[in-house]
Amino acid sequence: MATIDLGKHGAHGSAPVNDDRPYHERYQAAHHFVDREHEFDAVKMGVWLFLSTEVLLFSGMFVAYAIFRMMYPDAFLSGSAHLDYRWGLLNTVVLLLSSYTVAAAVRHAQTGNQKWLQINIILTFIAGLIFLTIKGVFEYYKKYSEGLLPGKFYSYPYAENVPYEPLWWGIYWGATGIHASHVIVGMGLFAWLYVRSRKRHFGPGHYNAVEGVGLYWHIVDIVWIFLFPMLYLIH
Amino acid sequence: MTSQAQPHAEHFDAHGHKDHGHTIVSVATLRTVLALLLFFTLLTVGATLVEVWIADTFNVLIPQWVNVFVALSIAAVKTVIVVMFFMQLKYDSPLNTMIFVFTLLTVCFFLGFTVLDLGNRGTIDRFKEGHILRGGTGLGTGMPITQSSKIAAVTNQTYDEHLAHHAHHGPRLPITEAGYVSKVPLAGSSAQRSKPVQGITLEGLSVPAAQTEDEHGEGPAH
Repeated sequence: MATIDLGKHGAHGSAPVNDDRPYHERYQAAHHFVDREHEFDAVKMGVWLFLSTEVLLFSGMFVAYAIFRMMYPDAFLSGSAHLDYRWGLLNTVVLLLSSYTVAAAVRHAQTGNQKWLQINIILTFIAGLIFLTIKGVFEYYKKYSEGLLPGKFYSYPYAENVPYEPLWWGIYWGATGIHASHVIVGMGLFAWLYVRSRKRHFGPGHYNAVEGVGLYWHIVDIVWIFLFPMLYLIH
Repeated sequence: MTSQAQPHAEHFDAHGHKDHGHTIVSVATLRTVLALLLFFTLLTVGATLVEVWIADTFNVLIPQWVNVFVALSIAAVKTVIVVMFFMQLKYDSPLNTMIFVFTLLTVCFFLGFTVLDLGNRGTIDRFKEGHILRGGTGLGTGMPITQSSKIAAVTNQTYDEHLAHHAHHGPRLPITEAGYVSKVPLAGSSAQRSKPVQGITLEGLSVPAAQTEDEHGEGPAH
């Protein structure tokens, strides 16, 4: 796109009419910011504020979990026994690795390493895909086919006399479902990032989007770090 | 195109080099954090397996809060290192740290007061304890309420036996059996005066004489 000489707002001085520099070099901050630094700090703070709302969203689920676990501990014990902690462990490892690749992607954007930036974005996307596959095929489908569904949909044929187990399943499906939907949204964001990185939008001077999506993905990972022991490791 | 030629000089610090004032976290730091995260994950799983093993081998009942406390503290440590290094909050403006810390504080208030309340419901009125609330009408199971309440009654009984080792005061009796109502009829008593009866053994009721009236010398409670 043709650059507009914004006078004192031009980050690197006035630009020539035909600017062949990559996007991340030509990028000029929105005019209400002093410079790119200012915009970057503002973007970061905005993302952190959004992450606060995400943390509070998940805290609602966690408090519901705490209430029902305190009221019906046996239901949680027997319900958790249906979960295989090894799938949960595998999912945790996958998400931790994806956290590493996303931090590496930010680093590569900072150093201007376009190739590895793209590779790491793809790796993070694939990690999300693996997570959803494990969850969907080995956990969700299995639970669904056994009738271990929340609340009034509970129809497990071998149910023992544990009265409130459908409540546990409500907590399980609700918490992991909301988390999985956040993973899906994250994967969409990484697809968007990949397309932009192919167009060389990101570089040392401009990588706001990579940073922001990375922060979001880390919160998703942190939530799973808490969900895993709370759901799978109840004894 | 990979513009390493910055307009100003880069100065190196302990964790990497600075660029436009942004800290670039070094690869060594990232890999160390990843290794720590994987280690703590295995530690969490290991702690649970060890707990189960101890409970099975030595036949001890480990209270649930031990499990929760260990799991949550390890998760908290993992969260801190993810936030500080992967999310680079350590190298960031302190304002973002304040935002995050106050969010966590809010969550702590939310969770803490809820748990405090729920955990102490039974302190004054025992019947308000959370796990006494049982039964329910079986709504949603598709059964008529008369049938589901019968199932609930049986379920509650087995649930109580199941929970007996958790109970602080032993298995709970229905209110008619808990000693509030005297089983033995009081002969010779009238509405104005109750006379203690001793030495009567009725068929099927082997109630010792001391139990024919409660401690206030009164008859059956209404």
